[in-house]
Amino acid sequence: MRVPCAFVVNGMPVEVEIEPGARLLDVLRGPLALVGTKEGCGNGECGACTVLVDTRPVNACLFPALEADGADVVTIEGLAAANGTLSPVQQAFVDRGSIQCGFCSPGMIVSVTALLRKSPDPTDSEIRDALVGNLCRCTGYVQIVEAVHQAAAQMQKSDSR
Amino acid sequence: MSARHVGTDTVRPDAFEKAVGRATYIHDLTRPGMLYGKIKFADHAHARILSIDTTRAAKLPGVRAVITAYDTPEIRVGFLRDNFALKRDKVRQHRDEVAAVAAIDPDIAAEAIDLIHVEYELLPAVFSPAAALADGAVLVHDVDPSGRPRTNNRVPVPTRHESGDLLAAERASKWVVEGTFSTPIIQQACMGTAGCIAEIDPSGNLTMWAKTQIPFLAQKDFIRALEQMGLRDRNARVIVPALGGGFGTGLDTHCYEYIAILLAHRTGRPVKILYTREEEFAYLSPRQSATTHITQGLDGEGKLTFRRLEVTQDNGAYTSWGATYPTVMLLPATSLYRVPAVKFDSTLVYTNNTYCQAMRGYGNPEVAWAIESNLDELAAAAGMDPYEVRVRNKNVAGESTPMGLHITTCGFGDCLDAAATKLGWNEKRGKQRNRRRGVGMAGLMHVGGSGRIYKADGGGVILKLDDFGNVNVSYGGVEMGQGLHSALQLTVSDALGVRPDKVFINPTDTGTCPWDVGTHASRGAFIGCNAAIRASAKVRSKLFALAAGLYPGEVQRNLEKLRKEKSDVPAFVVPSVCDPAAFDLRESEMFLRDAPEHAAFRIELGRMLRAIHFRGTEGTLLVEEAYYEPKSELPDWSKGVGNMSATYAFGAQSVEVEVDVGTGEVTILGVVSAHDVGKILNPQTLKGQIYGALAQGIGFALYEEVKTVAGRVVNPSFTDYKIPTIAEMNFPIHLEFVETHDPEGPFGAKGIGEPGMVPTAPAIANAIWDAIGVRIRELPITREKIIAALAEKQKRES
Amino acid sequence: MSNFQYHRPTSLSEAFRIHGDVPDARFVAGGTDVLSHVRDRSLRPPALISLRRVRELDGIRVTADGATNIGGLTRVADLTSHAALAARLPALVQAARRLGSVQIRNVATVGGNLCNASPCADLAPPLLVYDARVRIEGPRAARELPLEEFFVGNRMTRLDPTEVLVAVVIDAPHAGTVSRFDKIVRVRMDIALTSSAVLLRVESGRIAHAGIAMGSVGPRPMRLRGVESFLVGRAADETTAREAGVIASAEVTPIDDVRATAAYRRHAAAVLVERAVRDLAGGAA
Repeated sequence: MRVPCAFVVNGMPVEVEIEPGARLLDVLRGPLALVGTKEGCGNGECGACTVLVDTRPVNACLFPALEADGADVVTIEGLAAANGTLSPVQQAFVDRGSIQCGFCSPGMIVSVTALLRKSPDPTDSEIRDALVGNLCRCTGYVQIVEAVHQAAAQMQKSDSR
Repeated sequence: MSARHVGTDTVRPDAFEKAVGRATYIHDLTRPGMLYGKIKFADHAHARILSIDTTRAAKLPGVRAVITAYDTPEIRVGFLRDNFALKRDKVRQHRDEVAAVAAIDPDIAAEAIDLIHVEYELLPAVFSPAAALADGAVLVHDVDPSGRPRTNNRVPVPTRHESGDLLAAERASKWVVEGTFSTPIIQQACMGTAGCIAEIDPSGNLTMWAKTQIPFLAQKDFIRALEQMGLRDRNARVIVPALGGGFGTGLDTHCYEYIAILLAHRTGRPVKILYTREEEFAYLSPRQSATTHITQGLDGEGKLTFRRLEVTQDNGAYTSWGATYPTVMLLPATSLYRVPAVKFDSTLVYTNNTYCQAMRGYGNPEVAWAIESNLDELAAAAGMDPYEVRVRNKNVAGESTPMGLHITTCGFGDCLDAAATKLGWNEKRGKQRNRRRGVGMAGLMHVGGSGRIYKADGGGVILKLDDFGNVNVSYGGVEMGQGLHSALQLTVSDALGVRPDKVFINPTDTGTCPWDVGTHASRGAFIGCNAAIRASAKVRSKLFALAAGLYPGEVQRNLEKLRKEKSDVPAFVVPSVCDPAAFDLRESEMFLRDAPEHAAFRIELGRMLRAIHFRGTEGTLLVEEAYYEPKSELPDWSKGVGNMSATYAFGAQSVEVEVDVGTGEVTILGVVSAHDVGKILNPQTLKGQIYGALAQGIGFALYEEVKTVAGRVVNPSFTDYKIPTIAEMNFPIHLEFVETHDPEGPFGAKGIGEPGMVPTAPAIANAIWDAIGVRIRELPITREKIIAALAEKQKRES
Repeated sequence: MSNFQYHRPTSLSEAFRIHGDVPDARFVAGGTDVLSHVRDRSLRPPALISLRRVRELDGIRVTADGATNIGGLTRVADLTSHAALAARLPALVQAARRLGSVQIRNVATVGGNLCNASPCADLAPPLLVYDARVRIEGPRAARELPLEEFFVGNRMTRLDPTEVLVAVVIDAPHAGTVSRFDKIVRVRMDIALTSSAVLLRVESGRIAHAGIAMGSVGPRPMRLRGVESFLVGRAADETTAREAGVIASAEVTPIDDVRATAAYRRHAAAVLVERAVRDLAGGAA
């Protein structure tokens, strides 16, 4: 028996009818057609499904959709500006070659976005702690760390203007 | 042809869509009316199928088909044809597919799978080559693919080599060291799991959206499958969406793909099968394990005298590309360093374990593990610096190896030197034992110009120019994250003379792209870019010939416009018909080479193409193709001889480690990775390949292992199959790229996808030996093995 | 799953009322563990009762007597970001920082970690050495018991299906107490192969009080009372530390599993205890 679930996603209020046991990941990729968020393991291990719920990064594959009722959800699709300009994090990933197959990238970029909002000039150690739950098999992570520093510098520059 | 864009750090053309979550993977694709397929796996290692009851599953609302081998045509799978899409009579491994369901959603399909009941009679099973070769061992296959009775579990894929006088060489050796080394089953662990969509049209033609690296060989396999299903003379079209990684998982066709085809045929609707992460770990073909017995000898001058290798591999229950690892093992076996006498033998044995397929490096890392570890042991026996031994025996340009490999360009020496100097070898080697720190290194050689393993090793490119100066590139290789599209874009930009933003790489589709054997052997850019260079030359030639009569008119119009504007009109007489050889095309502008540097004489490519196209009955389009076959030989595998690549890649890695002798933890303090790349095509994609391969090499060395108990995978999740996280790659990495400008490579470039993970494990093991004096010969080097080795060392010394 | 329900009460009494109507319903905190079992059909409860909106269960506060009261629904992430907690209960915050990943910590709860009662539960060893008590409420009664008695066996606790773990209570450690948490893992994000929490109070160069607890070395997180009795009264030095390790190694009851062997866990137990005792004693002396 389906039940209603209402929340805000990427700034837009949505209301869907869902199975009570549905995961937030299923609701995002299914009725909301936001397929940027990926399922890499379904078990909270790989972070490919990372989204922000009330500013906190969580694994959407383990998050009951009904727990998002009334919450503010942000996915990869909500990071670029309305006119299509990439966010500083997205731009840094593009500039530094931090994306190869791209499957981990949405979750990784969302995690980095959350990190920089909390810690605008993170140390290497803080970066690694923040991203340990985002697995990548292609890049070896080095250029991802570079992108985080580039985005941090870019964001501090814009803030100071 | 100058390299203006090739060699510069350039954003990849596929980066944007991936950064905003718009790249479309198999996971994101749907087709109208699509059903979801799920497979029932045997979950027994060896058993006779007594009955399969699908009645309850078929009745579940939402289920549209339930199939088994007993109600579908037999489809044989694999290059030895010893596998079947669905199994009948008996199952030979835990992951055998015994039934499948198509339903309107994946949850219903999964529920239906639970409702299928299979009765088995368990059979004795064999889980190691030794057990499978023992007298009286149960046969995994009772008959061979032609139906003849089998008498043993050996797989008939002979790969061997013998050259030089081994006995004499052994006698001439001052030091001889032998050892047995092993590597486990590991998994490619792509972040995007395996899957496909099969759709058959009313005429019986198949379209497959596939997570494949071999679209054309897959097309061949699928056409054969259609034939076995009674659909003769039909087409199969393979379309490759964005891939969530490859690493070898897409080098074969899989039972799940044929099952999707059978379900599509049965239901008349498209069927999608997608593996969950657990299914990926438990039921997709991983990387073959290997045990290598090696003996090497050194003479009084530190020169290698001989090398003997016996490799045994657990083939698992069926045969896929894992069985052909010995063909690539021949490379390092016969040709890593200069060895005058070599003997290589390989044994492959059927067991009831999982069968295996390709993974990055394809046998080279397994053998490098043995050779490079053993070489250090040999150096220690001789009291020589292992770096020095490597330098004394390094390959040099201009030589031919026992396998018949022609070493053309070779930057091995520079790579070894960089590995030593940039890590501080002389300051550190043998000098940090009190801190439990050590340094180690290992060298590599790999194919750099593809690897010929099939009757053709080429690939074609079509360049289609349009009325706006856009260049659409069709190549049959696949972008799986390695940066192939970037390499093609930069190559076409420079070879043709257009701006990179005017170059578009088409999706890989057997319906539109020319044939390519597959994206493996680090060959994507080497083959694709070489074909693109040749096609570009054809375009330029045709363009200039056609423009010869049209260019003057275009320039005249420009000059008239200038006169009307009362601007300065440059003095130059444009010939009424130009010599095609006098033209150039650069950054999408055509011009006569001896015309003045003025905008009036530069005609934008799109304008030129429109002039060529819209000439009434003379209109012509510019679409050119080129098919490139590298200069190499298909080796005689039974002799292990043949120059299988157009050029060879060399490299070396050195590692500094610190070992915690209490917990057994190995911490990497620094790495140098030095590679002869021929020519850097794009620094950021090249670095990405090396860093990524290094991470996989570290995983192979320290963390990764598919664990099985009686053939069942017991760690089918990231919870217990550990790949490096960002925290493990927490050390300085120095990259050194040696450009040897290979004459066969596009702009001189060699393939580079695989080499980065070949020497990592032995470099780490050699560093551990320097740090704490223990030699680990079985991967992965876990904490337990370190502790056990230290305890044994203490016992021996007391 | 057609009649499956997911309830989100906003008070404990509402939660108990719902449970009274659907007796086979399960309480969930973060819901992560239970939901994945419901999806793969290994668990088939008719309903889940999520406690996430029960505000009274969430929060960290210090009571008048100086005890720390951590609501059962407090997220692990909130332990790591709490300003004063790291100074008051360092081993607990160290363990919280090493639990899973940022994403997991934003959803996992203190109560959930304890009620799952995995022998590897990261928060258990520090809470054990801090002599934590758990407060449990049912529809009709409330009770309190030491955490050590709460764990009964592998994934088994004294919690009745009608009850909820509402809070974990930790009395303020004595002045001069030092403590730390260590975890041996394969890669950085991992379930503990072996974990330890060590708590010492050193007075005049002698160990006055010791608390040792370990995870992943037995069916439940365990206090090593044998090591503790050995330590009390001993000089806070190298020799004591080493012997403590040896005793720990004999006291633990690990098994072989897919992650590590029993032999390694015994070895690791000795190393962790010896190092922690040595470093804490050295610091406290």
